[in-house]
Amino acid sequence: MLSIVFHKRRRLVRRLFFNHEQVRTMSRVKRRTTHPPYWHVLKNNQRQDEKISSDNLRFVREVIQDKYKNKSPIKGSDLDIEKKEWDPKTKRSGVIARNIGVQHMWEKDGKKVVCTVLHVLDNHVIRYVPPEEYAKSIIGAKVFRNRKPLGCLVVGAEAANPDRFTRQYCSLFSEVGLLPKKRLARFIVTPNAVLPPCTPLTAGHFVIGQAVDVYGKTIDYGFQGVVKRWGFKGGPASHGATKFHRRGGTIGTGRDKARVWPGQKMPGHMGSERRFCRGLKIVRINMKYNVIYVKGTVPGPTNSIVQIFDTLLPRRKFTEAPPHPTYFPPEDGTLPQEDIWDSSLHVFGSPSISV
Amino acid sequence: MRQLFANRTSSILLQEKCDEADEKSVSKQKPGDESGNTVVVAPPEFRFMYPEFLPDPAMERRNRLKEKLERIDMLQRRSVVEIPEFYTGSVMAVTVADANSPNKFARFVGICIQRGGSGLRAWFILRNVVDKQGVEILYEMYCPLIQKIEVLRLERRLDESLLYLRDALPEYSTFPLDMEPERRLNNSVVPINPLKVKLRPRPWLERWERQNLQGVEDLNLPQRFYDKAEKVAKPWEKYDLMLQYRKTIPAEEQEKIFSDVHSQLQQQEFKRKMRRRRGTDNEQ
Repeated sequence: MLSIVFHKRRRLVRRLFFNHEQVRTMSRVKRRTTHPPYWHVLKNNQRQDEKISSDNLRFVREVIQDKYKNKSPIKGSDLDIEKKEWDPKTKRSGVIARNIGVQHMWEKDGKKVVCTVLHVLDNHVIRYVPPEEYAKSIIGAKVFRNRKPLGCLVVGAEAANPDRFTRQYCSLFSEVGLLPKKRLARFIVTPNAVLPPCTPLTAGHFVIGQAVDVYGKTIDYGFQGVVKRWGFKGGPASHGATKFHRRGGTIGTGRDKARVWPGQKMPGHMGSERRFCRGLKIVRINMKYNVIYVKGTVPGPTNSIVQIFDTLLPRRKFTEAPPHPTYFPPEDGTLPQEDIWDSSLHVFGSPSISV
Repeated sequence: MRQLFANRTSSILLQEKCDEADEKSVSKQKPGDESGNTVVVAPPEFRFMYPEFLPDPAMERRNRLKEKLERIDMLQRRSVVEIPEFYTGSVMAVTVADANSPNKFARFVGICIQRGGSGLRAWFILRNVVDKQGVEILYEMYCPLIQKIEVLRLERRLDESLLYLRDALPEYSTFPLDMEPERRLNNSVVPINPLKVKLRPRPWLERWERQNLQGVEDLNLPQRFYDKAEKVAKPWEKYDLMLQYRKTIPAEEQEKIFSDVHSQLQQQEFKRKMRRRRGTDNEQ
């Protein structure tokens, strides 16, 4: 049976078979919640109108700054290099970034390329969960049910004032001695790519020309009708159509099963779902502002948070060792190259292209 | 009259431009900020000369860091190619690298009928009539295939968008392809051409009677068209301050953006003038 399916990338795809089994099982999966998982610690403080004077407020801020000031960043030489050799099966940590918009760039033959600009926030490693322990957790048990367990690195980004968080949430960071972070993420890593807590992760973690996967939550469209949500054609705009312009039409045959199949496409909530964009190529890295330009688009609206990590696609993985386990600025004080471009891109300061 | 918001589309703009143009090319210096350093402020004409440096006003998609990085890229590109000041109604010539042309370069002359986009996406449309066929080409200002942009006649018209030239008599859109650049008598003021264009008889591509066009001769339509236009019109929009606010970047932000960009643009212009002078000296 031919059916036209509306893909998440808004391209019409013809599928030869409508897999009722798969659609039925997947339609019962809960895709969004408005609350965090039950094992999460309560995060945000209820805003209490504390009538605090401006002098006291300044004092509180100074105390916070003093407390977290003298954390020196981890250097590359602090790590034992013997344990951590790169091999093709290594999984490195990922990075939390903000999608700050889309910029048009041009390739050397004049072809225009749409690039997403991702701003790598102030990432720090919070803690490492070794494979044996992670395999016992709820998510870890599901992920590693039939395969060898790997470790889990918890990374935080965007430091914020501790006042806005609860004490339990701040305690997650107190062992490490970091300002509490607004966002946390887990990255699956092999034991040879482990990073000690407090390690900063920057844009230099990635290599020009590599492929990355970007995970984000798609744009929230709210409750949408069947035309926008599933790409139905609706009805005629004129020629006497009574109240049938953007409706779904028939929802069953009336014959086999004599009911509506689960998974029948109907209006409902659209968007705000976890999605991965796989194999996006990094075309430019700006080390000064910690910004990565990635060829293509990523899930989510502008100014939303995404996670970036090395691609899982087998043909686009690394053949040479990347900065492993992460990038550390050179210790002899030499500054790295500020703006690194991929060889296929036209650099803006260079002369115009003559074909 | 002090204008609250820098609005590109309102007709008040045109009057303002004439007043402000007297102080052109003199960068003002603010009396000083708290630290006592003088802050150089770009001249107010910059928002008309370089409108693509202003970002898209939609708040959901704005990000200061991204706009800053985009501006750096734009200035880099401008250091290689001179993108001159132009307005809708100016006659321009653009040379583009084209693999299919005999010389590998294609040059097109036309009148700018519309310009838009912000940042590296900025574009303009040139229109000309070639062999009795109207031709319009959209050029992206920062595309690296563009070799040269010349302004042959720098002037403005009574409207911000000249799309009505598509329905006008062809002589209003015809410009010789070997047109020479015209010298301006008065460098400080950009002249406004008060030309009123004659349209062909209906049917038209758009309902021009509903668009308050200044640069078009009397349309001579039956009264029912004007009655319907009045019914459909939104005369309250010119009093809607929030609508104007949402469509524009606030003046303080504009000042910040242009003061960022001002010194670099001045340096680039200076270098170009020196190169030109050296070029004429060599010829002599």
